[in-house]
Amino acid sequence: MEPRQITVIQASAVLVSTIIGVGVLALPLFAVRAADSGGPLVTFLAVLLAFVGLALITWLGIRFPDQTIIRYSEVIIGRWLAWIGSMLIILFFAVLTSLTAREFGEVVVTSVLKSTPVEVTVIVMLLLAAISTRHGITTFAHIHTFYVPFLLIPVLVIVALSLKNAEAINLLPIWGNEQGGMLKGTLTVAALFQGAFILTAVIPAMKHPEKAMKASFWGMVIAGGLYIVIVAATISVFGSEEIKQLLWPTLELAKATTLPANILERLDAAFLAVWVTAVFTTLFSSYFFTIYAMSHLFRLREHKLFSYFILPFVFVMAMLPQNIIQMYEIIESVGRIGLIITTGYPGLLLIVSILRKKRGNRVADKKVDQID
Amino acid sequence: MRTRKWIKSISVLCAVIIATPFLAGCWDRLEIEERAVVLGVSIDTVDTEEAEQEEDEVSHVHGTLPAPRKGMVRVAVQIALPGRIPLGPGESGGGGKGSVGQTVWVIDVVGHSINDAFMNLQQQISSRLFFGHLRVIVVSEAVARRGLENVNDYFRRNSEVRRMAWLMISKGQARKLMMAAPPLERVPTLYLMSTLDEGIRMGKFPKDFIGMFWSNVSKKGQEGFLPYVEIKKEQNVEIKGLAYFVDDHMVGVTKPLEIAGYLAVKGINPAGYRVFVQLDGADEAVMTTATHRRSKISVQIKDDVPHFTIDIGIELNLEGKVSENVQIDNPAVMQMIENKQEEASVIFYSNIIKKSQEKGSDYFGFGEIVRAKKPQYWNKRIKTAEGWRNMYKDCTFDVKVSMKVRRIGMKGK
Repeated sequence: MEPRQITVIQASAVLVSTIIGVGVLALPLFAVRAADSGGPLVTFLAVLLAFVGLALITWLGIRFPDQTIIRYSEVIIGRWLAWIGSMLIILFFAVLTSLTAREFGEVVVTSVLKSTPVEVTVIVMLLLAAISTRHGITTFAHIHTFYVPFLLIPVLVIVALSLKNAEAINLLPIWGNEQGGMLKGTLTVAALFQGAFILTAVIPAMKHPEKAMKASFWGMVIAGGLYIVIVAATISVFGSEEIKQLLWPTLELAKATTLPANILERLDAAFLAVWVTAVFTTLFSSYFFTIYAMSHLFRLREHKLFSYFILPFVFVMAMLPQNIIQMYEIIESVGRIGLIITTGYPGLLLIVSILRKKRGNRVADKKVDQID
Repeated sequence: MRTRKWIKSISVLCAVIIATPFLAGCWDRLEIEERAVVLGVSIDTVDTEEAEQEEDEVSHVHGTLPAPRKGMVRVAVQIALPGRIPLGPGESGGGGKGSVGQTVWVIDVVGHSINDAFMNLQQQISSRLFFGHLRVIVVSEAVARRGLENVNDYFRRNSEVRRMAWLMISKGQARKLMMAAPPLERVPTLYLMSTLDEGIRMGKFPKDFIGMFWSNVSKKGQEGFLPYVEIKKEQNVEIKGLAYFVDDHMVGVTKPLEIAGYLAVKGINPAGYRVFVQLDGADEAVMTTATHRRSKISVQIKDDVPHFTIDIGIELNLEGKVSENVQIDNPAVMQMIENKQEEASVIFYSNIIKKSQEKGSDYFGFGEIVRAKKPQYWNKRIKTAEGWRNMYKDCTFDVKVSMKVRRIGMKGK
């Protein structure tokens, strides 16, 4: 049992490093497909949508500061209905973990380690995540806080340097020329923020759960801001039509960027190194959440037990997509379906809990994870 | 207690032994000598029958694959010879008056496509071809006029190729540029590259790396353009103009001075071209050099057709005169030079634009301005790249130029 230790800053760090993940590479492509030069706007709308989802779970978390979503959903809508919801959440995060690992593997095999089998890169990343999840939630928060600067600073440096080749005209008109896929694109991009659901596991371990909204606000501002900046920079450098020709525009941006005085003539290697860290933290969160939720669902004292238990399942799921095109189709549709689970379901819970006037205990300085 | 200590030390030993091969990092080493580092590539057309004779059955069996409609290609590569490339000025290595073959190795092959040619090449050389240091791709005019689809596809797909490499079009055979060995640089491709890089720095050429060319080709309201080069008799390289495209087909080429026109219309700095300004008589000509350019392009829709107003401002220095007939000693003369050059420039710039309109190739990117600034009109009337190509021919332009001569050098008059 751990005492409540996570501060607001740590909670927002968890959010930032969880959200920034494997999706940054394809992000500009998703945004541009939706509304060509309106990509930054699409991203902004997606950030708003994602923030609504995050605000819902934060609000719920504040109402039930002692429990995770798995437990308070039982209080709100009854044991069996909640069980279905929780199973869906667990399943969704297991799938999300496997898809993250697979996307990581595909990028690495395509661009750097060309003769390494994709299975090896996937299993290495999953093992790394599995080993790291054998600690408590406080350690989890510490690991995330530690990595945040390593994610933010290099990306911002690359974006700043790339602006040398930027042309503002590529960003006009800001609402895009063909907005046909705007709604779908917004949903696809918003789906990249779903890792933020991890907050439901973090709130019960926060020192001051009533300040959780502050954490989620700043987490979303930083992560969403970074995403918008990346999309804007990529579009202004390449133009929206060129991005449609590229599978991973952000990687291409790093490739087209040089350090001043030609110290490094292409930054894609440096960027990939940062990106591996970003993938790790995202994978770590979704893996952790999967087993943490399972242990709560089955009322176990410890989540460690599942660390290696779900590894083979996640690995096999990661290997299911047959090729990279299919993989991206799956990622996009799973992401949009996931929005129902990570936004719709908490919304429902919140409404019911308000109608039935259910709320959890006021926070006292109690231990987390107590089994009642 | 003893056995436990034993077990502990044995397990530590085991861990070290298992970890060593992974951490030592030599199990998948690739020595630099074992890589064929490609520095430059040239692409030429080749007679199909002759090429089919020459080609071995590497990627397909003879007769199964018809020659592509665009014809087959001859690809030459420059491969760096490791150890021969001197690293510092002190090393003698491959320096001196060397011809090609001292620091690089030029090989050529034929193929149905670029990729096919590289596979044929790989079959012929022992080490793995590595494109991470590819700096220059030269394509002959004939290939460019047939279309660069395949070239663009291959290099865009390859993850090793940089977006900062140069793609250029050669007058005549492209392979000659691979064979050239200018004495200034010890590595020939570096010389080619520095010709253009210095061109950017001296204001003689716009930034136009392969990545930018690709972006321009993709844009709906802009066409691509590439440097057009020719090899001269001392194996030096002249930038002969801009080769401009419609989609991925080259359709025309500008004169060298027209590059200055392009740069002025786009307002790209630094400025660096010198021009003759004819004053009154034949002998009364002065030469000026541009030092700074600015340009503002605005668009209005007149009678359902875009009308562009281009406002160009150029700062000049006077560089020399042909004879003493002109005395540069009072502001009126300066004013006259400015006026004369303005008149000439308006006609000059208008002609460049007119020529590009005739070819239907908007390599300036006027269409992008319409797309960005007049989205409603664009969505209603133009929509596609094809739509803009048709509309571009009917666009009208209003060019305004303001020249300012600021300095006259060290001579008093």
